[in-house]
Amino acid sequence: MDYAYFLVTLITAIVLVIGGLGLALLISPRSNNPQKREAYESGIPTRGTSWMQFRVGYYLYAILYLMFDVETVFLFPWAVVVRDLSISGLVSILFFLLILVLGLAYAWKKGALEWK
Amino acid sequence: MENIKELILAKVSDAVIEDKQYLTVTVKPEDLRTLAKMLRYDEGFDYLIQLTGVDYGDSLGVVYLLAKSEDMAVCIVIKTATADKENPTLPTVSDMWKAANWNEREVYDYFGVIFINHPDMRHLFLTERWKGYPLRKDYDAGRDVNPLDLKSYDMSDTTVSYVSEGDGIKKIEKNLFEEEDYVVNIGPQHPATHGVLHFRTALDGEIIKKIDANCGYIHRGVEKLCEGLTYPQSLHFTDRLDYLSAHIYRHGLCMCVEKAAGIEVPERAEVIRTIMDELQRIDSHLIAWSCMCQDMSALTAFIYGMRDREKILDIFEETGGGRLIQNYNVIGGVMADIHPNFVQRVKDFIPVMRKGLKEYHQLYTGNVIARERMIGVGVMSKETAIAYGVTGPAARASGVHCDLRKIAPYAAYDKVEFKEIIRMEGDSMARYMNRLDEIEESLHIIEQLIDNIPEGDFCAKTKAIIKLPEGEYFQRVEGGRGEWGVYILSKGDKTPYRMKFRSPCMTLVNAMDTISRGGKIADLITIGGSMDYIIPDIDR
Amino acid sequence: MEVKDIKIKGISYDEFKDNDSLEKYVEELRANGVGIITGVLDDIINWGRSNSLWPLTFATSCCGIEFMAVGAARYDFARFGFEVTRNSPRQADVIIVAGTIVDKMAPVLKRLYDQMAEPKYVIAMGSCAISGGPFCNSYCVVNGVDEFLPVDVYVPGCPPKPEALLYGMMQLQRKVKMERFMFKDKEVKENE
Repeated sequence: MDYAYFLVTLITAIVLVIGGLGLALLISPRSNNPQKREAYESGIPTRGTSWMQFRVGYYLYAILYLMFDVETVFLFPWAVVVRDLSISGLVSILFFLLILVLGLAYAWKKGALEWK
Repeated sequence: MENIKELILAKVSDAVIEDKQYLTVTVKPEDLRTLAKMLRYDEGFDYLIQLTGVDYGDSLGVVYLLAKSEDMAVCIVIKTATADKENPTLPTVSDMWKAANWNEREVYDYFGVIFINHPDMRHLFLTERWKGYPLRKDYDAGRDVNPLDLKSYDMSDTTVSYVSEGDGIKKIEKNLFEEEDYVVNIGPQHPATHGVLHFRTALDGEIIKKIDANCGYIHRGVEKLCEGLTYPQSLHFTDRLDYLSAHIYRHGLCMCVEKAAGIEVPERAEVIRTIMDELQRIDSHLIAWSCMCQDMSALTAFIYGMRDREKILDIFEETGGGRLIQNYNVIGGVMADIHPNFVQRVKDFIPVMRKGLKEYHQLYTGNVIARERMIGVGVMSKETAIAYGVTGPAARASGVHCDLRKIAPYAAYDKVEFKEIIRMEGDSMARYMNRLDEIEESLHIIEQLIDNIPEGDFCAKTKAIIKLPEGEYFQRVEGGRGEWGVYILSKGDKTPYRMKFRSPCMTLVNAMDTISRGGKIADLITIGGSMDYIIPDIDR
Repeated sequence: MEVKDIKIKGISYDEFKDNDSLEKYVEELRANGVGIITGVLDDIINWGRSNSLWPLTFATSCCGIEFMAVGAARYDFARFGFEVTRNSPRQADVIIVAGTIVDKMAPVLKRLYDQMAEPKYVIAMGSCAISGGPFCNSYCVVNGVDEFLPVDVYVPGCPPKPEALLYGMMQLQRKVKMERFMFKDKEVKENE
């Protein structure tokens, strides 16, 4: 495996981030006032706290997204080696996908995808 | 209307009935509710057009202008006054006409009159800490009484209501929002509020539980300023109220003064005014469409609408001298004759606009996302529209016949033929389609008039100083967003004693709470865009 | 750095109206001494900054519609670098105060200005923002936004034509090109 590409990407990322932040430290003017630390809400002070009971609908959406994102992460390494695995690899991945699609169908049927 | 007089005298024996521009009935505050109930429920006067507070010097009074929703040309005026200037109180009529809710808050703001049994007696335009009542004649407008305060205060969550108890009045506090409500400020600085309107929205996840609209962030005190200016001078403010219906509003005030002073406007000026009004209406609806689509994140629609609007602005600029604020109508006619290119330019514009309309429908109206976001969203029933006094394309989308150009025609509208666009669904899609269809009707009106502009003077000769005879004068015109009205109370001077502008957008925002409840925040943006209000018109 | 190097494409230096204040500023800078290398770096930074000033979406009344027209297709301000209007003050560079400011709105505007990140600029557009405009005699109108904000450019008019607003934006760009940032005292004193 040729790891040089990976190393180059890593170094570029680090250089860009540190370079950007460093340049900003050097040249940007700074100022401070009490309103800067407060939340922005169209110019009006906020009311109440945000630590309160949230709707469970938000959690459902987040969890479903997370599940399918992790599934995609698992699909990437399979996609890299798909040629070497031929049919048996395809069948195994299909099993994996089938289980997750069953989960999606269940969520759809139960109405988790609607916002109520 | 003759039998109305007998019916009123039968109910309220000491009512004073006069036959002025409209039938005017003056009653004492104790009999106001009896008379109002009779007119509202028995006689069918279910449209409250205007509610004006007046400081008569020795008393503070209110003037109500009512109309019937079946025939909006039939109007009646009720007047009442209370002589107590220390603690003035009057009974409320907000249970009979929901439109009175905000109007009475405005009278409280300006004059300090407390309305008994009003559910929400708070300041509407001025800040909670304002001292004094600006439109009273003895108000001290000095900056030391109400200095500029740059500190942001938290807004209070309670409101007061004064209820009658036995012989006296009790003040009770009510909660606007509960302790555990999650209240978000969809604030003054927001791209989708079409101006500086502040919605305090109580949310349950994405669902809206309640909206409390706060206006007054552009309250410039125009009505008080007009009391110190002559009539030609106060024309300049009408352009800046609803700046997208600038011609129409200025036309309305000019008509009011002309009718009162007995000035006859030449025909050429009437036709020019009508053509300019219709061009202004197309301009206004184009911006309404552009901004509504932009709020629903279709930026291309914004660019297309503004592109076509620039052609109208070119026409305005060549003749009137200004793009947005034209200062074109004056008392007696128009300020200058139309430019020699005017007729040709308008004739070239009409097919371009028609092509544009087809493009707009192709671009956005058939889009499945647009349809999902607009159909069935923000349904305003006919009863809600009438109760809140909504007019304009928004009310016509709910089935109310309120086009003043048809009902009470003025200028050259009785000489042209056009349809009144009525839809019955009352949702955002209906309001959206109404505006685009009204552009087509305006083009039709312009086509009928543009080749037949009569020759003659463009302005009647008027005196240098215009003094209106003593009395009260009303005028109603159809603006881009609904019915705009003027009320002038003149004591024979060259400046008005009281000038009031009836705002169509105030009714639209008043109705927002009712029609947005139960919807999502994204729907609030769609509904706001489809109702299309302009905030300086509300705040004046 | 010579003053004559402040180039705005399309308009020559002589056609701008207010060159005196810029020249005075350059004299002050020269008196304090500016090195060669830091001068070049400053030029590069200023070039980048002046050509990408993003305005805040802020409009109270009629001038707001002309502001929108300047953003639309005919008088596009994106070609000057004012690409998008940012809705949040944290991401905006310049606030174009378009419209009348009244007593109730003044704390909101001050809060928005305070929440913007440095470097930030203010353009007062229209006669209402400059001095109260037609409403200056009213009981609740702030007579000019410079009562509580430091204004960089004033664009007169009621409303100013889009070309006038573009000229005002170009003046602001010239002002930004004059600034010096390298190795200067960074803390900006806030005026209370």
